[in-house]
Amino acid sequence: MLILKLAFRNLFRNTRRTLLTCILVSSSLVALILVDGLVLGATDIMIGGITHTLEGEAQVYRSGFRDNLEADLYIENPEPIMATLAADAGVMGYAPRVLVGGMVASSYNTTGGLIYGVDYRQEENVSLIREAIIEGSYLTGGDREILIGKPMAELLEVEIGDRIILTAATVNTNDIAQELFRVSGVFEFGPDEMDETYVFINLPKAQGFLGMENHLHQIAIRFHDREDSRNRQLPLLQSLNQGNIEALGWLDLQPAFGAMIDMTNYSTAIVGAILFLLTSLGVINSMFMAIYERIYEFGVAKAIGTRPGQIISLVLVEALLLALLSCAAGIVIGYLANHYFSIHGVPMGEFEAAGVAIRGNVETRVALYQYINFPFYVTLLTLVAALYPAWFASRIVPTQALQRAL
Amino acid sequence: MAEHLIETRNLYRKFGSDETEVTALDHVSITIEQGEFTAIIGPSGSGKTTLLHLIGGLDEPDGGDVLLDGANIAEMSGNELSDFRRDHIGFIFQAYNLIPVLSAEENIEYIMLLQGRPAAERKARVRDMLHTVGLDGLGERRPAQLSGGQQQRVAVARAMASNPQIILADEPTANLDSHTGISLLETMRELNQSLNMTFVFSTHDEKIMERATRLIHLTDGHVEKDERK
Repeated sequence: MLILKLAFRNLFRNTRRTLLTCILVSSSLVALILVDGLVLGATDIMIGGITHTLEGEAQVYRSGFRDNLEADLYIENPEPIMATLAADAGVMGYAPRVLVGGMVASSYNTTGGLIYGVDYRQEENVSLIREAIIEGSYLTGGDREILIGKPMAELLEVEIGDRIILTAATVNTNDIAQELFRVSGVFEFGPDEMDETYVFINLPKAQGFLGMENHLHQIAIRFHDREDSRNRQLPLLQSLNQGNIEALGWLDLQPAFGAMIDMTNYSTAIVGAILFLLTSLGVINSMFMAIYERIYEFGVAKAIGTRPGQIISLVLVEALLLALLSCAAGIVIGYLANHYFSIHGVPMGEFEAAGVAIRGNVETRVALYQYINFPFYVTLLTLVAALYPAWFASRIVPTQALQRAL
Repeated sequence: MAEHLIETRNLYRKFGSDETEVTALDHVSITIEQGEFTAIIGPSGSGKTTLLHLIGGLDEPDGGDVLLDGANIAEMSGNELSDFRRDHIGFIFQAYNLIPVLSAEENIEYIMLLQGRPAAERKARVRDMLHTVGLDGLGERRPAQLSGGQQQRVAVARAMASNPQIILADEPTANLDSHTGISLLETMRELNQSLNMTFVFSTHDEKIMERATRLIHLTDGHVEKDERK
């Protein structure tokens, strides 16, 4: 109790220095919270770009299909899988698809393309195809409807209503099939690869065109809770992983992207380490100044019987109070700033990461751990930084310290 | 009970090195008994304060031994020495050296807190000490709110609070006016006589020399004369 009282009073003997040190420590905490909030926000955008645009947060497909998009590797009996997905409360939506490589031709030009047969209603819960339409209209189930990307439309020199011929090999027989479509919509997702090569037609038409009956190549899934998509042990996906059927979340579907997310976490750790290093130097400096200023008091305290361990405790309690005060300020300011930027966003210009275009403001994300873990680390660091000054104070020789009082 | 309360054997202490080396104490051997009111006197640089600090275990000698109540302080660990000072020795310094963020009461109570004494006992002892040194009603003031004489009285009260066997006082009246110095000395002398508490002063204050029962004259680190009244 005496140590606490002494530490508290000592802390406010030099209010200006204490405040400056508090500002240093709390600023580091605020910076760490904001950097983490920004990284989470940018990561959300990138994950959203990958998963919500088209891929889905998880996919069900036949083993080996994703290696080369081999059209013959289709899901033979998709009904029970879709029934399971429809019954799962955690699933926001699922989208059955067929996809095959083929040729896309107009009267003027020809290009390679990836043909997606999609259920236009169910896609609205999983992908952003409708939102990406910039000309014409979204699919309505019509037999000849086709959506193409803007660069492809320019290459093929077609407009809404113009004719497009799709050519692809049918499944199992590998016969060449051709079908005529009319451009009903032009989309622009952002990433060049998608806009230049993807085309979307209605699922029944695609299944008929490719001779697939009711078979599917892929079922894309979106969850209510985004954390489910990161859960490799999710019971739903595990239950679907049977026989030649695989069900994977985006972390496994896009391993390179998952690694990049991990790297962003490392970047937060590196920023945190640099901030912590600078902060700890500031704390050490401040504690040493406080100790040198009161060196004769430590000499007196030792002279009248204070043990070295009690001197260490006193300095550490001062550091603890300093850290708690700083963290309290840092938590409040950090929360307010993070909350503000989570609404208004941070202007980051325009950049593309992992095939995802990020434009405009990046909204930070507020997470509870930022206000529990980071203050804990800051407090711990402050105590570690104070260890050396505390040890120094405990080693003060009373006679030398007392001479300074004269 | 040891033969002598304080005993120094061939105590040697030097400062600096090579050309700047100064011998502060040159094989000093003295004994001080329980209840003595002793003044170590001599000119500046004669080694008075050094001897006092070595007796109190605040410094380490380059040679020789200090025995307090038979215990050789060189053989004590850091914590043992801290505990020994806390329980057996009271210090009074020239510059008072009170802890500025603590009130007079808290400065006096500090050492008893280190001893782990119960709160009620501490509070009662603080009241007694403040009364003894004539500071009734000033206990809640911080050192900066007290005069030099009052601060030194608090320092005396702090030194006595743990009921030590020995009080070591380094130039305790040097910063006080004559009247305050005499008043403080009378208080200490009364405590010496009533409680048989041992006082050892380092001083060149005539007032202390007049009241001391023994004068140890130091010159250039040697005991030149040891005079009992």
